[in-house]
Amino acid sequence: MKILASWLREFVDVAVPPEELGQALSMRGFELASVDRPSSIVDRPSSIVGQPSGSDAVLDFEITANRPDALSVLGLARETATIYSTPLRYLATNGGPLALKALEKKEAIGVAVTLEAPDLCPRYAAAVVDVTVGPSPAWLASRLQAAGVRPVNNVVDVTNYVLLEIGQPMHAFDLARLAGSALRIRRATKGETIRTLDGTDRVLTPDMLVIADAEKTQAVAGVMGGGHSEVSAATKTVVLESACFNPKSVRLTSKRLGLKTEASARFERGADIGAPVNGLERAAALLEEIGAGRVRAGCIDRYPSPADARRLVLRRARLARVLGQAVPDSDVERILSSLGFAPATHQDGWSITVPTFRVDVSREIDLVEEVGRHYGYDRLPATFPALDSLPGRPDARIARDRVVRRVLLAAGLSEALTFTFIDAPMAAHFSDGSAIVPIGNPLSAQFAVLRPSLLPGLLTAVAHNRHRQRQDVRLFEIGSRVTRAGESRGVALAWIGEAGMSHWSGARRNADFFDVKGVVEGIGEALQTTFTFKADHLPPYLQQGRAAVVLANARPAGSVGMLSSAIMAAAGLAANEDIYVAELDLDAIEGARDATPLTVKPLPRYPSIARDISIVVDSTLPAETVRGTIRLSAPGTLVTIREFDRYQGKGVPDGRVSLSLRLTFRSSERTLTDAEVDAAMKAILGALHDAHNAVQR
Amino acid sequence: MTDADIAQLRTEFQQELARVASESDLQAIRDKYLGRKSGAVTALMKAVSTAPADLKPVLGKLANELKQELEALLAEKKALLGASKAPVGAVDISLPGRTPPIGHQHPLTIVREQIEGIFTRMGYQVLEGPEVEDDYHNFEALNMPAEHPARDMQDTLYLDGEIPGQGRPATLLRTHTSPMQIRYMETHQPPVRIIVPGKVYRRDDLDLTHTPMFQQVEGLVVGERITLADLKGTLTTFLHELFENRTQVLFRPSFFPYTEPSVEVFIGCVFCGAKGCPVCKRTGWLEILGSGMVHPRVFEAVGYDPERYTGFAFGVGIERVALLKYGVDDIRLFYENDLRFLEQFPL
Ligand SMILES: [Zn+2]
Repeated sequence: MKILASWLREFVDVAVPPEELGQALSMRGFELASVDRPSSIVDRPSSIVGQPSGSDAVLDFEITANRPDALSVLGLARETATIYSTPLRYLATNGGPLALKALEKKEAIGVAVTLEAPDLCPRYAAAVVDVTVGPSPAWLASRLQAAGVRPVNNVVDVTNYVLLEIGQPMHAFDLARLAGSALRIRRATKGETIRTLDGTDRVLTPDMLVIADAEKTQAVAGVMGGGHSEVSAATKTVVLESACFNPKSVRLTSKRLGLKTEASARFERGADIGAPVNGLERAAALLEEIGAGRVRAGCIDRYPSPADARRLVLRRARLARVLGQAVPDSDVERILSSLGFAPATHQDGWSITVPTFRVDVSREIDLVEEVGRHYGYDRLPATFPALDSLPGRPDARIARDRVVRRVLLAAGLSEALTFTFIDAPMAAHFSDGSAIVPIGNPLSAQFAVLRPSLLPGLLTAVAHNRHRQRQDVRLFEIGSRVTRAGESRGVALAWIGEAGMSHWSGARRNADFFDVKGVVEGIGEALQTTFTFKADHLPPYLQQGRAAVVLANARPAGSVGMLSSAIMAAAGLAANEDIYVAELDLDAIEGARDATPLTVKPLPRYPSIARDISIVVDSTLPAETVRGTIRLSAPGTLVTIREFDRYQGKGVPDGRVSLSLRLTFRSSERTLTDAEVDAAMKAILGALHDAHNAVQR
Repeated sequence: MTDADIAQLRTEFQQELARVASESDLQAIRDKYLGRKSGAVTALMKAVSTAPADLKPVLGKLANELKQELEALLAEKKALLGASKAPVGAVDISLPGRTPPIGHQHPLTIVREQIEGIFTRMGYQVLEGPEVEDDYHNFEALNMPAEHPARDMQDTLYLDGEIPGQGRPATLLRTHTSPMQIRYMETHQPPVRIIVPGKVYRRDDLDLTHTPMFQQVEGLVVGERITLADLKGTLTTFLHELFENRTQVLFRPSFFPYTEPSVEVFIGCVFCGAKGCPVCKRTGWLEILGSGMVHPRVFEAVGYDPERYTGFAFGVGIERVALLKYGVDDIRLFYENDLRFLEQFPL
């Protein structure tokens, strides 16, 4: 809302610089966006305020959606008067720049008005004016321009002037163009069309309110007039419309037509039901003042169910209880009266009549805000709420995510945050198409569907770094994924390039399957969950032979492995490189977690004996199977089996592999002898030979 | 043979000695100047013996002094060379060490945990909520019925169809963390003292100051004696903790449908020291959070008695805090995941 300081000062006599005035209103909730001092402002000759030329300014305020009354000079003047405890000058019939021309209410004014939809238009007033269409005087055009409204001609300009000044939207129809000299306020008929003032043809629907003549629609009510009855140079007589339309109806219509105007902005927030006649009277006075026209007779005022004034009680105790401090009665009364409320004494405080322009004030709490706002929040004390009980426990996911994050940071991966929406083709690689949830009104194809997996976002981040000469990229993300099954929390990681940290002392090694598997195992350990890894039912985006499905308590919990080359290309990465990824469903893991409280086992009292063996077996034989055979054939004193070398090549036949393992034996009751460990080893080697044709090297 | 010859010999020796880097260099220079057969000083001594008798004592003294000086310098150099010789197994300690590969935490996580930490100390429970929401929790219960103009303030991303949500089917991406106010109050009785960090979504294009996804921390306090003064005290303390105490805090009326009165909170501009600059639009103030007293209609929606209970709520943008704290001038950096950016933040 842009207004000229001199215009505001016609209503309230405050001699502060425009910047200071703007800041004062800002502190009452009307955010000052800018102060401009255009050189082209033309002073109003008859103004009450002597405005030294060059000191005027345009103040631009951001008005919150609850205050349609402040979308006017008068509304902001009322706030200003309250801030400075100074009287507000009202529009009155006693002449001067704030004059109203009293209009008698009558039927025979030269146009027939039929209000057919009072539910969508609670009040409709109209007057007929004989006009001499021409340009507006410079001062009037200048005020409109300062407010960002383009001057058209004196008649249209006056309607816009009244809208800006008192907030009452108005419209002027060329009477000669209204068939049957009639105005019907009715719902549009199905398929009805209108060419609006902006030259666009619009198709209307029956839930939209229109202003029609005897034959067709002449305006979309509260939104925009039609071109057919537009005021032109040839216009001799106009019908001035000043109405109050239903906010929801105007909002729906404006949204549906994609058409926002100064009028619709006010109606959809709630117009002043008390203002329509005032609007006509103000327009009539202005048209006479600038010599643009004269009202023929009185005005028509269709107001079938006049609303009672809203009365609210403001309790003194409630006011203090919400604000945290009592406000002196005199301040309460001064503030509310100045804002246009009528406070009367009441046993608990005040009984207050709400002015019709304050559509936002419907309960006691709204009055508390009005008092607090003008009393000043800076005058309230700063206290702490008393803590009368222990707060509940935090969401368990927060601590869990923190543990996972710590493991990943310690493993050398940095934390990424990517958008929850991704592009559809990428999503299709990571989920069954029917499970993907598209966004109904996406901003762009880039953000078209909700991510079924965290990996696409991470791959984009990897590519971003790769395209900036970063060879080694290790990233992870913890976040939500969404499919048709709902929302779930996961963690994913992507690893390309070097496995460790490059160092002058050694050769570099690129990350492989066992690096990411190790990190996944680390997460399992941190979450007290044992993962098992299976090579079947792999997701299609992973490379067969270098990937595994992760199970927690035999239930699927994610996957780990090398990304297939097809996805590499789709993600903008060179397809000849290996990128290893993993993704785990943290919610699924939560369900599989071992909840047994930790109790520490006593440290072993007797020494252990370790034995190394090297066996040659088929290269396809899984290590897990070898371990199983050893366990089955070993005594209970075998505590750990650990692979420490795996070798293929010279000295090992084709299709075979040399596997070296360290077996550790220990008893909790006594010191083991070499002889019994030797016997155990003999049995183990025998079993390995029988089961896997294993040969000792 | 003059004293000038002696001085020049001294200069030459000093220059050559400076270049000595090893024991063998040192032997070579000793031979050159003090060698029994061809040493330059040895030759000088011989020349003295043939000098005129009146000069002999002076020159002899000078030559002797030179010889002693050279021997002292050579000994000193020898000691120096010996000392710099590495002991067995020594390493070059100036080479880089093997840094364990430790990742970097995302700055938004750092700020989020900082905020959680401050409120945890103030006795708040930290909760999380769903990001896919239903219209009721995101709007309606927060006093934003269908076609309420305030819905325009939050351009919403809707799902294509419904998916299972928490309770009602989800139809949209939450535009703020406030729906958790409703979810919590629906299932708990006062007193309430919670914060809810999480991601929120708006239909905004990516630019310097907007991302279609960002993070907020919601706060809600409800009890029988909660006042606007409590809101002031709590948020002032929070901002002092977050921005290292010296910042000024300003409370200004505003409008949010779910709070009444609504209060916008500003801090003294961190860029200009509250003097006024382009970032703060010359006001000296930067908006940092939105807050207010819980609207009675919100209490009615969850079955709390608005006569008995009052409360305050607030929401702070994590990116906004991070931008101000770290002097980041482009919000998109938080979501590009450029390691050159991420690695600037501590572990
Ligand atoms: Zn500044």
